[in-house]
Amino acid sequence: MWLMICSAQDTSALWAYQGLLARGLHPLELVTAEMLTLNAKWEHTVGVNGANFNVTLADGRVIDNRLVSGVVNRLTHVPLDHLAGAPDFEYAQQEYSALFMSWLKALPSPIFNGVQSHGLSGAWRHVSEWVWMAAQAGLPTPSYQQSSHDGIDESQQLRRIVPAGTPTTMVITLGDRVFGPNMPAQIGNGCKELARISQTPLLGIELTVGQAHVPWSFAGATPMPDLRLGGEPLLDELARRLYVNRRRSN
Amino acid sequence: MILLCGIPTETPIALVREALESNGTRYVVLNQRKYASMKMSLEIRAGKPSGKLQLNGDSYSVDDFTGVFTRLMDYHHLPELQNAPADSPDLKFCCNLFDTLTRWAEISPARVVNRVAPMGSNFSKPFQAQLIKRYGFEVPETLITNDPELVRAFRARYGRVIYKSISGVRSIVQTLTDDDMTRIDNIRWCPTQFQAFVEGTNVRVHTIGDKVFATAINTEATDYRYAKRQSGDHAELREVELVDDLAEMCVNLAAGLGLAFAGIDLKITPENDVYCFEVNPSPAFSYYESQTGQPISRAVAEYLSGQ
Repeated sequence: MWLMICSAQDTSALWAYQGLLARGLHPLELVTAEMLTLNAKWEHTVGVNGANFNVTLADGRVIDNRLVSGVVNRLTHVPLDHLAGAPDFEYAQQEYSALFMSWLKALPSPIFNGVQSHGLSGAWRHVSEWVWMAAQAGLPTPSYQQSSHDGIDESQQLRRIVPAGTPTTMVITLGDRVFGPNMPAQIGNGCKELARISQTPLLGIELTVGQAHVPWSFAGATPMPDLRLGGEPLLDELARRLYVNRRRSN
Repeated sequence: MILLCGIPTETPIALVREALESNGTRYVVLNQRKYASMKMSLEIRAGKPSGKLQLNGDSYSVDDFTGVFTRLMDYHHLPELQNAPADSPDLKFCCNLFDTLTRWAEISPARVVNRVAPMGSNFSKPFQAQLIKRYGFEVPETLITNDPELVRAFRARYGRVIYKSISGVRSIVQTLTDDDMTRIDNIRWCPTQFQAFVEGTNVRVHTIGDKVFATAINTEATDYRYAKRQSGDHAELREVELVDDLAEMCVNLAAGLGLAFAGIDLKITPENDVYCFEVNPSPAFSYYESQTGQPISRAVAEYLSGQ
């Protein structure tokens, strides 16, 4: 089986789920974050036989990592609304998050994207780290400034590299392929290199376009791009890459 | 120059400061409680970070810092801010100040002990255990479940079983008792971590760069950090020498997790099997140094100095 793991509100993932089904990826199980916390029965083991899990969802489906052929993972958080107000709510939140980190780690490849120590579906990096990394990858980058006297509350407002209103476009990398508008080879190669060094095979990269002297420049990155921007070609490639391990399917 | 960040009276910071003094290395202390007199700016141009840090009335280029030892506490818990309202300008300033400092340290070419990102593996013990296994260590048989029946079967299979948090919070290891089993149905609310108890000697290994300090801990307690509470006696600590390949495994493990400085919790069985329970990315090494005299803080100071 293959897994599409996402929030129930992730319309981009739901679109991809339908598209992958249409491409013959079967059985492809849609597993939402909500299903994983509401009346699911968990059995996760780590030891001499490696890491395994067996999750029985409330609807009776059983997810066993040994039967999984590939995964699209877009989990960002652990929804525990049903425990809100409980005296140990914050503790439960920490525990569930730690459990999710571990069972996602036990999922077999290919996985787009795998859990990292700083994010359930790929590392969530601060914009300063992305811009630093983009330069290492060979992408043109604007200068970035941050200081103790900035008026930004990052819990409310994301920092941006480019001023609000700057026209940008999003490209999506999937392994060694780049999906988006036509771009110079140097930019395409830089995008692929950024995906590689950030260990985020499915990466959304925002680029500024159309400026007079620097036609293309890095403007941001996310491990959770809107997959619809990659269109049908992205889904074709995603299906192809997921299908590699089809023999493990039941 | 070395930058020490945190509360200067906290023992690990104080010990590293003393060691830097002893070997004549220049350093500056960023005392979190004096935040009001600090300023910091960060700029990244073509992938190169630069910036200024003002503290103690002096101004430094961040390029001056070739080593950083950071034990920053959550600024919300600073005595100066404990009663600050949520919209306090001081809180907002601290948020921006310490964020700027952290963002710089994450990408700085300086030796940083430790960067934040690699510390994240310690947030989930079974996640970290999967990484630990790759470096050749045994990990205890572990079950995480919200199904009481599976716990009963696990206990029947392994006999002595312990339980502890999955994450880093409330992390006191306890033996699962018959009394605990009378309320085992409570786990239906939240999956819980159980482990087969491993007999043997607890060994804490501190690695700093490629230096290794091993300390054996003798105690009857399930969790030696709480030995007095659990067994009535304090744990006894003594310096031990690891065989070369085990020392190398520890160095490789810490490096593989991206940790310049690590506290690795091992248990060595009577059959000489080596189990690794956890890698602590912010080890309170002073407890071990004070009990054994092992020169851990000196090694940290030397590492920061590039030695």
